Amino acid sequence: MGVIIAFLPLAWVGYGLENAIDPIKSLYSVSGMSAIILLLLSLLPSTCKRLCGYNLLRYRRPLGLLAFCYALLHILVFIILDAEGDIAFVVRESLKKPFVFIGMSAFLILLGMAFTSTKRLFKRFAKYHQAVYGAVILAVTHAFWAQKVAGIFEYMLVFSAIIFLSERLIFRMKNL
Amino acid sequence: MQSFTIESQFKITGIGSASGLIYMKDYLFIISDNSSFLYKYSIQEKELNKIPIMENPQGNIAKKEILEVDDLISLFGLEERIYRFRCVEGWSMVVPWIGFPLSKLVDYLQPNSKAKYVKFTTRYDPSMFPDQSKGIFASIKYPYVEGLRMDEAMNPLSFIAVGMYGKRLLPQNGAPIRLVVPWKYGFKSIKSIDNIEFVEEEPKNTWQVQNPKEYGFYANVNPSVDHPRWTQAKERVLGKFGKQNTLSFNGYEKEVGHLYAGMDLRKFF
Repeated sequence: MGVIIAFLPLAWVGYGLENAIDPIKSLYSVSGMSAIILLLLSLLPSTCKRLCGYNLLRYRRPLGLLAFCYALLHILVFIILDAEGDIAFVVRESLKKPFVFIGMSAFLILLGMAFTSTKRLFKRFAKYHQAVYGAVILAVTHAFWAQKVAGIFEYMLVFSAIIFLSERLIFRMKNL
Repeated sequence: MQSFTIESQFKITGIGSASGLIYMKDYLFIISDNSSFLYKYSIQEKELNKIPIMENPQGNIAKKEILEVDDLISLFGLEERIYRFRCVEGWSMVVPWIGFPLSKLVDYLQPNSKAKYVKFTTRYDPSMFPDQSKGIFASIKYPYVEGLRMDEAMNPLSFIAVGMYGKRLLPQNGAPIRLVVPWKYGFKSIKSIDNIEFVEEEPKNTWQVQNPKEYGFYANVNPSVDHPRWTQAKERVLGKFGKQNTLSFNGYEKEVGHLYAGMDLRKFF
């Protein structure tokens, strides 16, 4: 059920693409926004467990993987549609432009986490999955920067990221 | 009735037309048409001084007028111009505008030799523009300001639009009148203009104030100067899936390239 809801944005953009005024831009926006919302939601289960005792941890992996799927789609829009398959251009832009660089870095973190998310590999790599906090900071910065002028959505992202990250910080300081 | 012709004996730079003249001790006092200044001209030293007679005098302009759109149309006529339009954020389209060359309006207003730039201001009326009514939550600072160098404004391509696609402009397209500068990124083409001034200093345009690292005063379409966040080499044509190459000065290099001869276009982006 959750997976179906998570794929709704994709269906919506696919349906509207035929008549989209600026198709590449709408694909960028929908994939990027979905990825970042899902990424932030993947931080919810453990916070929820600590604060209200509900165990939603079983949703953490699918949420993270869905976030990765949308991030992958976002990157593919960049490589295939925007850069028209010019890999040298993609590499150059990623290294030259801080805005692209931080987005790409966030994606590489998610890529590594997606690869090591199987039961067997997760045991070995679980501690590296803390890199998700880096990915969240990079992705929120990227989203904030993407706008001509940051609006209510971007401020909400920053606000939720601060809540989730500071809750973890406080929890760790308490348990030192 | 007898008719007279008074031949002008000399020309005073800075005065277009006058409706009153007073001669006193080698000085000419001139009341200029619709101006908010009293002009004091020394005949011997050939020097013109301005004495403001209103609280906020608008300088460098012979005719300070409040014109309705229909006045403009009857003064300058209408023509259609089909221009490429390129947004700084990478989309582009072709638009059939209706209006008149900006140079006709400038000639009509008769700015003096001190006028180096034209400053345009969008109407400020929060009851009309939703974002303006948001106060501190508004996305940008209002009113919106744009500017052109005098020679840019006088270039035959610079255009004032009152319509598009054969109809009057809609509010969202910048009704009742807007600027169209086809060789510059779209944000230069200011909408819903309600004040035009001639100034001596380069006006601070809204996006330059908002983010000086990313947006400049000139904003000429230039595929070889990237925006800090994205390439300007290509553009997304609205309604199409693929991309096309962006042309230097948006394809109007032959008409306007000479305006920027010798300028470092990386510095003056």
